[in-house]
Amino acid sequence: MIELHELSVRAGSTALISDVTLNVEAGTWCTIVGPNGAGKTTLVETIAGLRRPSHGSVSIGGQQVSSMRERQRALRVALVTQHPIVPSGMSVRDYVALGRTAYHGLLRAPSVGDRQAVTDVLARLSLDEYANRDVVTLSGGERQRMVLARALAQATMVMVLDEPITGLDLRHQITMLELLQKEVHECGLTVIATLHDLTLAGQFADRLVLLDHGRLVLDGPSGEIVRSQELADCYGMNLRVIDVDGADVVIPVRH
Amino acid sequence: MVLVAVATLVALAAAVVCGLVVGPTSIGTARIIGDVFSYLGLGHSTLTSTQSSIIWQIRAPRMVLGLLAGAMLAVAGGTYQGVFRNPLADPYLLGVAAGAGLGATIAIVDVGSGLAAPSWTPLLAFGGAIIAVIVTWAIGGRGLRSNTSTLILAGVAVAALFTSTQTFLQQQASTNSITRVYIWLLGSLASASWSSVTLVLPYVIACIVICVVAGRALDVMSVGEDESRSLGLPVRRVRFIVIAASSLGTAAIVSAVGLIGFVGIIVPHIVRLLVGTSYRRILPISVIFGAAFLVFADTIARTVMAPSELPLGVVTAIVGAPVFVLILSLRRQMVTSA
Repeated sequence: MIELHELSVRAGSTALISDVTLNVEAGTWCTIVGPNGAGKTTLVETIAGLRRPSHGSVSIGGQQVSSMRERQRALRVALVTQHPIVPSGMSVRDYVALGRTAYHGLLRAPSVGDRQAVTDVLARLSLDEYANRDVVTLSGGERQRMVLARALAQATMVMVLDEPITGLDLRHQITMLELLQKEVHECGLTVIATLHDLTLAGQFADRLVLLDHGRLVLDGPSGEIVRSQELADCYGMNLRVIDVDGADVVIPVRH
Repeated sequence: MVLVAVATLVALAAAVVCGLVVGPTSIGTARIIGDVFSYLGLGHSTLTSTQSSIIWQIRAPRMVLGLLAGAMLAVAGGTYQGVFRNPLADPYLLGVAAGAGLGATIAIVDVGSGLAAPSWTPLLAFGGAIIAVIVTWAIGGRGLRSNTSTLILAGVAVAALFTSTQTFLQQQASTNSITRVYIWLLGSLASASWSSVTLVLPYVIACIVICVVAGRALDVMSVGEDESRSLGLPVRRVRFIVIAASSLGTAAIVSAVGLIGFVGIIVPHIVRLLVGTSYRRILPISVIFGAAFLVFADTIARTVMAPSELPLGVVTAIVGAPVFVLILSLRRQMVTSA
């Protein structure tokens, strides 16, 4: 479904991503983990088509992302950025409706189908009661749900999320990730996300990819990766993994 | 929204009437309307030929040019604010004013070479404005790869270069030339004629249409460049088209009426307070409101000190500055209460 082939990304003379090859199956959740500066954000931005590879390629459904026009790409992959810009004065419904831009274009008004899609996604994420509120009046958790709603309104097969739970409290972190997991299980959405929280990464993703200094270090089932020595080495920490009712909990241990 | 649209259309109609009726020569509204109907074959005009000339050869082209200038500057200001996501952006941000100022100065100032050609002022002002924007674009963005911050910085640099060249030329000029340059810089509709209207009309209409149609794209761009690209917006292409249209239309207007400040900033802000933050609503209402605003301002400019005239740029600034401050304080109150 998503294929990264010998992908390298540079900024001037600095290598941000080096020779990453990765295949992500449709309808699965792949989380990219790694320390700060590992290249996680660069990788997801390249998958979303915001950066051009300096070498190699990213393909979605067999078509190279860098050769797609913006509109074509927006119909295949939705993006949730780490710090989404929320324009004041815009209603929640109008904000979520931005997700339909690729469907109706810039010269036509949204169709009945577009409006229905927005109504549906607002209901699905329990945002319908906020539909007419100004986006800046929402709490952090509601705001993040609204950003997810906009991405879901794009009705793509692939969603790329960069640290989607940054700044949320524990309950809202879980709520957000459960909403995503539901989309993966029920709608066959393919998710590629970056997360700093290794416990949540391990509990929600089908597969973890460990990145360090722009290189792919490990790639495999979540349970294996969180127990790997390479993970601890990348962070320069001792990590312990405890099984709590069948869920892996990753705990850093001070030297 | 409908109420605001109706109110601005009423204001526009009032401005048109003001533009035709108010002036040193008193001609009643009913007689002017009667004259209009006489052209449609309904009744007879009661105007003398002199009165008819005052209305249709002096006031009407001045009023129409005022409508075009106000509409273009307001919509260009709103568009710039949207595309740069900067509330202080105005149509002169990328060097249009500095370029036009230098072009006009070259035409007006005789530095002893005998090359000054005042009748070329509109052409050289237009050329200067376009060159300034092209240079800004070339420096600030390398075409389609530009981003808004580098474009703004390039605009500042180009404006500084053009303005300092203009200042140098003025230093070499006679007092009479300097006075004429200042009169031009402060803007005026006094030299309006049907030929100046027909000269700028195609540019202005085309540019206004492009800017208004771009409203939906500017709404998408309000979430930032990366996110709007991920939503399917060809950001760089849209930015290029919108900036080109705004700059071209502004250059055309500036070449005809000189530099009129504040319209491009305050009108979109007033409209934003009335209809919200969507550019789909701000831009078309700004067109109407800007047109009405400038014709009212011009009516003040030509009547307050009649028979002499106040520079139009002075009137828009005197009216505009307090309104701008009022809007800012209102907005602060709204934010605080929210």
